[in-house]
Amino acid sequence: MKYKVEMKHITKVFGTLVANDDVSIAIKTGEIYALLGENGAGKSTLMSILFGLYKPEKGEIVIDGIPVEINNPNDANKMGIGMVHQHFKLVETFTVLENIILGIEDVKKGILQYDDAIKKITKLIETYQLNVDINAYIKDITVGQQQRVEILKMLYRDSDILIFDEPTAVLTPQEIHELINIMKGFSKEGKTIILITHKLNEIKAVADTCTVLRRGKAIGTVKVSDVSVEKMAEMMVGREVLFTVEKEDITPGENIFKVENLSIEGKGKKIVKNINFDVHQSEIVGIAGIDGNGQTELIHALTGLIPFHHGTVTLNGKDISKTNIRTKYETGMSHIPEDRQKHGVIMDFDLQSNLILQNFYQPQYQKHKFLRFDAILENAKTLIEQFDIRSEGGPRTILRSMSGGNQQKAILGREMARAHDLLIAVQPTRGLDVGAIEYIHNQLLAERRRGKAILLVSLEIEEIMNLSDRILVMYEGEIVGELDPKEITINELGLYMSGAKRGASHV
Amino acid sequence: MSKTKKLLRKFFTALKPSLIAIGFGLLIGLIIMLIFNPGDAFQALFTLLIGGFNGGLKGIGNMLYQAAPIILTGLAVAFAFKTGLFNIGASGQMMMGAYVAIYVGVRWELPFGIHWIVAMLIGTLAGGLWGLIPGLLKAISNVNEVISSIMMNYIAGHWLIYLIRTNIFNGSYSRSMNILPSAQLPMLTSIFPGSSANIGILIAIAVAIIAHIIVHKTTLGFQLRASGFSMDGSKYAGMNTKSNIITAMTISGLFAGLAGALAYLVVGKTIGTAFEIFPQGFDGISVALLGLGEPLGALFAGIFLSNLRMGGFYMQSYGFVPQIIDMIIAVIIYVTAISIALQAALKIYGDRIRAWFKRRKLKEEV
Amino acid sequence: MDILYQLVQNTYVSMTVLLIVALGGLLAERSGVTNIALEGIMILGAFIGVWAIQGLEIYPYSPLTKVVIFLVSLAFSAVMSWGLSLFIKRLFKKDIYSLFKKNITTKRILLVISALVALTLTILFFIWLVNTQIHVQFILVMGMMIGGLVGGLYAMIHAHASIYMKANQIISATALNLFAPAFAIFTARFIQRGQQIPFSSSFLIQEVPLLSQIPIIGQLLFTRVYLSFFIGLALLVIISIIIFKTKFGIRLRACGENPNAADSLGINIYRLRFIAVTLSGVFAGMGGVIFVVTTSTEFNVTVAGFGFLAIAVLIFGNWRPSRIILAALFFGFMRTIASSYSIIPFLNSLGLPREFYNMIPYIATLVILAFFSKNSRAPKALGQIYDQGKR
Repeated sequence: MKYKVEMKHITKVFGTLVANDDVSIAIKTGEIYALLGENGAGKSTLMSILFGLYKPEKGEIVIDGIPVEINNPNDANKMGIGMVHQHFKLVETFTVLENIILGIEDVKKGILQYDDAIKKITKLIETYQLNVDINAYIKDITVGQQQRVEILKMLYRDSDILIFDEPTAVLTPQEIHELINIMKGFSKEGKTIILITHKLNEIKAVADTCTVLRRGKAIGTVKVSDVSVEKMAEMMVGREVLFTVEKEDITPGENIFKVENLSIEGKGKKIVKNINFDVHQSEIVGIAGIDGNGQTELIHALTGLIPFHHGTVTLNGKDISKTNIRTKYETGMSHIPEDRQKHGVIMDFDLQSNLILQNFYQPQYQKHKFLRFDAILENAKTLIEQFDIRSEGGPRTILRSMSGGNQQKAILGREMARAHDLLIAVQPTRGLDVGAIEYIHNQLLAERRRGKAILLVSLEIEEIMNLSDRILVMYEGEIVGELDPKEITINELGLYMSGAKRGASHV
Repeated sequence: MSKTKKLLRKFFTALKPSLIAIGFGLLIGLIIMLIFNPGDAFQALFTLLIGGFNGGLKGIGNMLYQAAPIILTGLAVAFAFKTGLFNIGASGQMMMGAYVAIYVGVRWELPFGIHWIVAMLIGTLAGGLWGLIPGLLKAISNVNEVISSIMMNYIAGHWLIYLIRTNIFNGSYSRSMNILPSAQLPMLTSIFPGSSANIGILIAIAVAIIAHIIVHKTTLGFQLRASGFSMDGSKYAGMNTKSNIITAMTISGLFAGLAGALAYLVVGKTIGTAFEIFPQGFDGISVALLGLGEPLGALFAGIFLSNLRMGGFYMQSYGFVPQIIDMIIAVIIYVTAISIALQAALKIYGDRIRAWFKRRKLKEEV
Repeated sequence: MDILYQLVQNTYVSMTVLLIVALGGLLAERSGVTNIALEGIMILGAFIGVWAIQGLEIYPYSPLTKVVIFLVSLAFSAVMSWGLSLFIKRLFKKDIYSLFKKNITTKRILLVISALVALTLTILFFIWLVNTQIHVQFILVMGMMIGGLVGGLYAMIHAHASIYMKANQIISATALNLFAPAFAIFTARFIQRGQQIPFSSSFLIQEVPLLSQIPIIGQLLFTRVYLSFFIGLALLVIISIIIFKTKFGIRLRACGENPNAADSLGINIYRLRFIAVTLSGVFAGMGGVIFVVTTSTEFNVTVAGFGFLAIAVLIFGNWRPSRIILAALFFGFMRTIASSYSIIPFLNSLGLPREFYNMIPYIATLVILAFFSKNSRAPKALGQIYDQGKR
């Protein structure tokens, strides 16, 4: 019985996507084991299987030498497995104490008893230095403290296999330091820790062993003390480039989009800090970074989906910081949103209506407030042909019945065809097949040739490297580097993205 | 498959939930009738379904007369529904519309041919105002429009009594006064002798078509439907969601106000001074649901429902109280609400039954 | 001074109904399910409950009334048996009792014995009750129990639709609101020719012995009150305890705030919500009976919008029992002013029309909602359909 937890030849498929491809890991008791990989590498999926949220197509799980079946979180709990999710599962209006005991409450004559629980929890807090006020309300405590509550939930249930999913994504450097000490404490007590992360420095600081996942496959398992951060980064991102695109040199034109001193406040922590950058005509500026480092919030602020209170945004000389969304479009902005089904389209509308979603009120599409269906249809036909949008029923197809790739092409076509000077594209090729990806990349380069300014946000390193003229790396809400893709390697970019390297302050 | 066949198929699939719901409703109704008077139950059901035709042209005429207001309240509810709002206040809006229309009909003196038009229009506006208030409350203060419109119903109910009492009171009957003949909607007694049929039904049909056009062919309709389907998407698109809410509720109120005018601009038709919340508002909910939330659907559903009510009226000769209709309608609404799950359940059972038959067939062949 | 006492006593009448129904609504909404069917449930509960009361007033009892008495006897014996079992547990040493439970045969013997006990108690109660002229306050209690039972069953229809069949909660509730009055009129007319169900007893307690003699408080709390007033207050305390101090309560609140979190901890969201909505029906049913009995002399297919006002009380009370009673008092007071303004010299001199006073509770509701809805502390997951498939 050498190993505490073994996952043997796990394969998990979602539709056509192979999330885990014959992955095997073996973890010893008391070990701190890291799973490293980019977004979509399969780390969360693997752990979700261990925690009982998914069932694998192939493979088996072995705990303490005995093969087990884990069908739901309750089973996992019984095996002593606990998980701290990336998005906490806490009831905000309850106290810390109530959240911890929820589901396994002590009762006497029908009334809840807290005394025993308080004793046990206080002891846990002391033992592991998980300082938090058990009578505080979740909504009043910091994110770092909330995470400790999640940890206490696990410990209170006597879990001895603790899974942490990207635990430091939401912590301040101070809190990260404390968490690392806490994890080391657990390890000393004989508890087994599995850490899902993309942050290389932290792996170096706390983990014993690390398995690197890439695109669903396990690339290799290393002893952390034996390898360098660079080597791990290389394993994480190194791959042959899928294809190259024709990208000629173009001198950037005028500076038409300026972002100055933009900050967004969140819960006691600044989600986005002091962002400064600009985008010129005929230029693609790429924002690189791992998901959760502030990119989403930044774009939502720039496009008007959320308000912000510090900083200014200027487009074509006009201050659009406080204007409504329609004005932003009219000033020359186009936006391919990150969540295409939530924002980018009205899923229950048909294709032709979606293709005029933002400018249905303009004279070409309405006369005396009556929609000009002929013009709308023509527009749809043109865009369908131009952008190769495929659907069962042509312009009248309801968007919900179209494939993700074609939905995206529709959004792309609409945003590019509408009069604009700046195109903000967020994750434009997520979930698409190679053909669609290539197509969209070519379209973006064509935009660049036409003199448009393009702000590209992507989690795909290759995409950023291939398309951008300049790369801004975001880490923990800040821009930590401005890089020239011609002068850096992918691995170096990976280092910036995982916070291992920082550039000097820049404009 | 030919294009018409495809269209028909689409039409019937869309209609399926309503038809299933109606089927269930009538079934429950039949069961209740069988419990209380088994001998006459089937006869009564038949009478129920024939509805207005039981009374010949007079019956049909009355059916059309009563259909007009509920078509309009149905339009009111459906219109709000398209924008994602629940207008349960159609009754109150109708009551205000009715009062104002009667007032103009009693107290203003205008020439024939103009009087009724003015009364109708001003009544409509009153309803619009009454719908505007919950709309404002929702847009500005995020007040749940279900509760606020229900409160508006009660306020209207009480205020109506006061207004009638002080302005247009007919002391001998404790009701509102009769409107002047010039304010009466032109009747259709030439076609439907003996009934109260008036051009209200024609107006209702016209308004239904207008509503359909607004919803499906104008920029306003585009915005409202977008908001109804996806608040996030419409926000991304740059639409002004707050003004959409206010506009939708106001237009909804206009429709309901018109319903009041059409129902009460008849000489001899008066409002009593006992507290009441007009039931047509709730019928409007049923009509909207049965009509699948579409304006044209509300048109047909309104006629269907009115016919059913007429059937209930004629059914009394079998000893059944007309409230049976309300119960049937309630069941229909309930079934509509669970329609998605119900269809899935029916499909599962249908598949199981079919599989069972298949197995039996195979067994016999062996 | 006398007038003041009268006003207060009248306020209690409306307040009690609103309080009880709102408490029921609280349970449902705290679990995450909206329930605007309270009005319809009240009507149905009132219908059957008042009918039962009418039956219980006429001695000797009709066969239908005997059925009612049987049901009540069943309920009482169930409660007694449960109490008895707790007592026995205490009496015997704990080990012997659990020993009994472990062995299958002894467990079966135990079951048979308890069933027999319950049956005997039921029959004893039944025989006793059927042959006595039941005391008027007890008639009220029995009427409330029947109303509650009917309300609970009726609410299950809404609960099943909105929780298990993922139906739109507003539409399902509207169906219930439409069905109840129609059913009441239909059945009443069929059975007794008219839709009103009169009753003759006066349930008003003129003076609570002893307590009404206390200066001031005696007049305020123990003179010219109904039993329902005290029941309402008791329920307030009980529900507060249940929601905040029991296992059921904390899990209930979790379901309403963050069903995902509750689900991840193994709590059965569907079952909890179903129970909560059913209970809200029980309370609404009782409230309906109380409404009719304390505000008029007959059931006439209406509860004056109290089902909806109760929801406003809930919102105004910010979903907390301590605030709900204040809100109920406020609205009760508004209603009292509406019906008693003529005896208040100040108001009488204003010469405002009576309809205006009738409108006050509803206008007040709107105004309050306008101010309160922005910062409402509604349960976060209220009204959202929970689908476990979308974990």
